[in-house]
Formats: sequence, structure tokens, C-alpha cells
Amino acid sequence: MKMVSLSLGVLLFLAGCSSDRPRPRSELNGLLRQSVSSRRDPSLGQIWLASLGKRGGRERIELIDLRNRRPVPLPGLNRADAQPISLSVSGDGARIAVVQQRDDRTELFLYRRNAGALQRIPLDPPGVPRSVSLDGSGRLLAVEVSRNGRWDVDLIRLP
Amino acid sequence: MERASGGLLATSQQDPALSGNGKWLAVISDLRGRQTVQLRNVINGSIQALPQLKRHQPHSSPSLSWNGRYIALITQHGRRRMAVIADRLNGRLHPIQLPGGRDPIQVSLAPDAQTLALQVTDQGLWRVEIFDLSDVLEIDRPAGQALSTPPLTPAP
Repeated sequence: MKMVSLSLGVLLFLAGCSSDRPRPRSELNGLLRQSVSSRRDPSLGQIWLASLGKRGGRERIELIDLRNRRPVPLPGLNRADAQPISLSVSGDGARIAVVQQRDDRTELFLYRRNAGALQRIPLDPPGVPRSVSLDGSGRLLAVEVSRNGRWDVDLIRLP
Repeated sequence: MERASGGLLATSQQDPALSGNGKWLAVISDLRGRQTVQLRNVINGSIQALPQLKRHQPHSSPSLSWNGRYIALITQHGRRRMAVIADRLNGRLHPIQLPGGRDPIQVSLAPDAQTLALQVTDQGLWRVEIFDLSDVLEIDRPAGQALSTPPLTPAP
């Protein structure tokens, strides 16, 4: 009886919603499946998809141009001794914010594609970053930070 | 580097998401034991009501369009996790149906709200699937951005 009422609840919820359907981009989705053993943490820019793809047991940050469905080179971003935790791409695809772990330290970084440079963003007061989000221009960053057992969100304006 | 400390609210905050224009910040807060999305104006700190999302907790993984008109996130309906997109302009709620019993884990909405990326579990593996929303949502473009129009031709 409980199951019936739950199903009815879902049906009533769906009936109250829009009937238009999002269309899967099948060809792109096939390519996203084929190239890696698993993929997580998607972040969309205007024409960009950043995500963490696992290949050969190792996760790497990938940026795909959705117009031609091809990955773009990210020199200096994926270090062999670092494990990416989460990421966010700016709307224009020029910047990627990354939380990554290396030598038992979890730190926040900003990658600028035009310079191929990875810059550490210090947290003040110190804490352990986890989830991150950039705005469209990549000049404002929001990051979830653990401090003394509590999760805060810091806003950081970047030059 | 300019900073604004977190902790503007008394509760714990997780899963931040900025709108494309940087004016809106969505976070997941623990409100009376329920993980609930909150939308905050970054400039004045005010909290905006999201009446169409006040149930179906726990909420997770919010994502905002350019002007914050649309907010995509994962909700719970009975035993099912479901990705939905709320339109703050007209109050409509758009569910994203996933065939084959796959569970949505994480969601990202493109700034113009015309593309959605979903992380799903599929036979124990994580996948990312992309959806075209151009039949479902209006474009949420930056203010003052020119629309593409055909070039003007001189009258004969």
C-alpha cells in the first residue's frame, strides 16, 4: 500500500510538471562513454564540458569542446602525483577551478588555459576545500570549506 | 584577491553554485535536519524563496543559469532520486526522466540553460550524459547581449 501511494505521489508530481522532454545528445554521449571507464563531476560552460574521466585506473581533468566533441589540451593541469577531487569551468572555458589532493594535502587551484598555468588559491582562514564553482567570467569563485567540523562556503574574487 | 567569508548563515553550507553573472549563489543548507537548497543574492545577502522546491528533500548538486532564472538540482521523490529544473520566472518545474533505472548523482546546467550534463550511475559505473534543452527552456542570456539577426540588406 505504501508503494502504491509513493508511485501515485510521483505520478501526481510528474502530471504537474512540464511535458516537454530534454533530448539526449546520443552521439556525444556515446563518445563520452567510449573514451573512459567512468566519468564524473560534470561542469558545463557555454560550449565546454569539463569532467573527471578515469582511464587506466587514474582520473584526469578533461575539457571537451561541445561544438566538435573533441578534448582540448590542458598542459600543466594533470599532475601524475595529484588526485583531482572536484572542478568547475568558467562560462567562457578560459579558467578551471580544481580541488586536488597531493601528499595528503587537499588544496584549491585555478588553471588559466591561455597561460597553461596552475595557481594555488590559499584559504583564509585555513580549511579543507571540497566542492567548487566559478561564475561565467571565472573572476568569482565559491568553494565549500571544512573548518572545525563545519562546512562553510567562501566567496573569493579573483584578478 | 578579495574574499567574503562564508558562514553568513548559522547553518552548515555545502555544494555551492554561482550563476553565470555572479549575482546568485545556491547552497545546500541543513534546515531542521533536511538538506535544502537556498538561493542567496551575493550582493546584499538576501535569501530568495524557492516555493516550487520547498519539498522533496534531500536536495543536492544545485546549478544555476546565467541570470539565475533556472536552478537545476537533484531531489528525492519517494524512493526515486530525480533531477529537476525549476524556472523562477514562471514557477514551472521540469523533471528530467532517465530511462533504465539509472540514478542521477550530479547535475550541471550550461549558463544559457540550453544544455544539461548529468552524472548518473549505470551498472555500478559513473557516466556523464548530455541533454539538449532547447525545446524545453528559453535561453537565459547575459543582459544586453545582442541577438543574432540576419544582416540588413539595402532596400532595392
